[in-house]
Amino acid sequence: MTGASVEACASEPIRIPGAIQPFGALMVLDPQTLACLQRSRNFQDVTRADPANGLDACPEFRDLLPEIRRWRDDSAALLITRTRIQGAPFHVSGHRSSQGLILEFEPLATDAPDFNLDGFYPRLRGFLEKVRSAPDLTAIAQAAVTDIRAITGFNRVLLYNFDEDSHGTVLAEDNDGVLPSYQGLRFPGSDIPAQARDLYRLNRIRLISDAAYTPCPIEPPMSPIDGRPLDLSFVALRSVSPIHLEYMRNMGTAASMSVSIVVDGQLWGLISSHSRDPWRVAPQTRDACESLGQILSLQIEAYLRAERSSARLALKEVESQLLAALAASESDFEDALLDASDLLLALTNAQGAAIVSHDVVRLAGATPPEAAILQLAADLFSDRKEIFATDSMASVWPDAASFADHASGVLAISVSQIRPDYIFWFRPEVVRTVNWSGDPTKPMSAESDRLHPRNSFELWKELVRLRSLPWSDAERESALGFHSSIQAMILRGAEERAQLTDRLERANKELEAFSYSISHDLRAPFRHIVGFAELLSDREKKRLDEKSQHYLRTISDAAHAAGRLVDDLLTFSQLGRASLRVKPIDMNTLVASVLRLLEPDTKGRHIKWRIASLPSASGDVAMIAQVWQNLLQNAIKFTAKRDDAEISIDAREERDMIAFTVADNGVGFEMAYSDKLFGVFQRLHSTEEFAGTGIGLALVKRIILRHGGTITGHSEPGAGASFTFTLPKRPLARDSGAPNG
Amino acid sequence: MADLRPILLVEDNPRDLELTLAALAKCQLANEIVVARDGAEALDYLYRRGAYGERPPGDPAVVLLDLKLPKVDGLQVLEKIKTDSEQRQIPVVMLTSSREERDLLRSYELGVNAFVVKPVDFNAFFEAIQDLGMFWAILNEPPPGGRSNA
Repeated sequence: MTGASVEACASEPIRIPGAIQPFGALMVLDPQTLACLQRSRNFQDVTRADPANGLDACPEFRDLLPEIRRWRDDSAALLITRTRIQGAPFHVSGHRSSQGLILEFEPLATDAPDFNLDGFYPRLRGFLEKVRSAPDLTAIAQAAVTDIRAITGFNRVLLYNFDEDSHGTVLAEDNDGVLPSYQGLRFPGSDIPAQARDLYRLNRIRLISDAAYTPCPIEPPMSPIDGRPLDLSFVALRSVSPIHLEYMRNMGTAASMSVSIVVDGQLWGLISSHSRDPWRVAPQTRDACESLGQILSLQIEAYLRAERSSARLALKEVESQLLAALAASESDFEDALLDASDLLLALTNAQGAAIVSHDVVRLAGATPPEAAILQLAADLFSDRKEIFATDSMASVWPDAASFADHASGVLAISVSQIRPDYIFWFRPEVVRTVNWSGDPTKPMSAESDRLHPRNSFELWKELVRLRSLPWSDAERESALGFHSSIQAMILRGAEERAQLTDRLERANKELEAFSYSISHDLRAPFRHIVGFAELLSDREKKRLDEKSQHYLRTISDAAHAAGRLVDDLLTFSQLGRASLRVKPIDMNTLVASVLRLLEPDTKGRHIKWRIASLPSASGDVAMIAQVWQNLLQNAIKFTAKRDDAEISIDAREERDMIAFTVADNGVGFEMAYSDKLFGVFQRLHSTEEFAGTGIGLALVKRIILRHGGTITGHSEPGAGASFTFTLPKRPLARDSGAPNG
Repeated sequence: MADLRPILLVEDNPRDLELTLAALAKCQLANEIVVARDGAEALDYLYRRGAYGERPPGDPAVVLLDLKLPKVDGLQVLEKIKTDSEQRQIPVVMLTSSREERDLLRSYELGVNAFVVKPVDFNAFFEAIQDLGMFWAILNEPPPGGRSNA
């Protein structure tokens, strides 16, 4: 069916057909005067009364009129009563509308069964017992169709349930064999247009007693109250669409009655009764069927709720186990989830799961390939989807057909607001056969300017592929519940991190204040000791003996050394805090200036320097100068005992980095202790042998790490040492060693 | 060279004061050395108020200013001098125990003329004081048209 013809069908004015079915008569009264405003053309034929001159003027309404008055002045929505007109029994029902009081008259057969509430009660009670003991929905449905057929005498009674796509599946059937069985068949959603569904929700029963009837017009067609066509939404005699009558004839039925099953405000299903030949159902029987339909609706609602909450409860149990496992785990959230993959899968009854975090995919069970999962996550993220579920990925992503046997259905929840991080659950394809009642792809034909309903109800088998079992409400709710639980966990984690950052910042500030006061207050006493020792020595030089002078020198030297130690420590601690001013550095110039600075150390030494031409690198020039100074100072110091000292400076490029090497042929160190080289206060030589505070290399390492580089030392005792550090060619994006980095 | 203006030394630590005075004495400078023991006293001297209300007018040749001082600290004194158009031309040398980068940066921002981290080594300290004393006290002429002793 084309889009246009569906629309044409959906726009049929079914509430205002302007006519009724002729098995009764209709009259509209002015609510104030009770004057007759409108009536069906057959009114006089059916009732043998003519209300044209007012109801008071009709002796036929003598009994009825006081009842109508009472009802009008009363608050009851409906009038349901019986009356006799010229000896013939009539069922009279009335309802209020903005267009007046609408009264329907239906002649009663004299032998009609009396289904008033008292008469109906034993049957209703029997029905309730059957429904209560029914083990499942199909059994409930079966009880309903059996009862309805017993009450009404139709040839066939079906109970359909509508799915998400509005297709109706026959759950139960009671059939006397006159009409073909539709048990288990599926009817396409297009069989019942949208506006009919709306009406079925409001008015829960309708009857067509003879599909071949001639509609009986309402006169005048427009309501004198509002000038619009009379709204027949709640009129039992309402004339139906000619398309529907054609549909019935194509189906081979002459009479039909349907009772709506409304669950949670939605049209959940229909009890559809058919008869091969025209079939009258007495109004009181219809009332009984409507009551039964309402009871059935409530029963189904209760059943579905119980089923859903027990499923939800079972999944909630899984969720709490999973959350407990996550809370107890010391691994990362993602790894912890994977460790508990059995629970993760059970949470939505899935056969596969994937956790996507920071572009890393972790898999459990049967899943699509990683690349497809990453693509899925990216697609969902670009649509800002927090939760997504489908039982047919291939209908959303055609490429998904290639892995349908592993994963046809997917349920996804987002775990990050800012990244395409998701948890996925997958279900494999389940190939099913659906028995359609007729080819659902050809529900209608639009021939010669008029719509025709489908005329074939032949069994039409469809093989459904690329679909998994659908995700139930409980499973979706379970995923959603888990979603909010982990959101809370992630939030809590973020809060804890923020607190940690706070504490770190505080500690950092304290440390800063501490080192600031050390730099002032700890240095001063050493300075004073040295200063006054010098002053004393100057003043008393002549009077002091050799020994005393030696003591004074020792005091001065010791304080001196302690002062240097404080200085070095401070430099070391400041390095962690001082901001880097990274610029390209001309290494040849820098090394030359550092060597000039070291001239006092090399005075009187014979050192053979071999300095290669050095490429530029980027860094904080003052800090890198410190690196060169410390490394070269070490090389000079540790070659002091050699006459043929040799120190070389070299460089080579390594991708984005440049590696600089300082090598000497000094005393070297044992590689076994190389891990101690770069520690604070770690010395591999005695102070006797070589002076130093034991901080130099720790400082160098700290500087290099802050520049995003590395440093290694290599040596053999007696065979010299070499130190290689790397620096980026171009400035890095961030300061890798900042305290809060 | 007829007129030798005094050197204002602002130092609260008695040991540092003694050492600095000893170093200055070694330089054999003829300048008078005025000692202030905190920032407030230094400002009183510069603005000729309080205990220094009666001193003859004239700016010191140089202010040797310790960074950490009671009451008004060294950086505040420096700021006061360098933001006052009447005082701005007085050379200020910051003396400090600290190697803190932020103190150095702040001092230069405020317009310090020199910044000396007091070395542990007394001889080095002596040399530094000597260099500074010689340069600022003797060689440094007041700016032409400067108001002092005009």
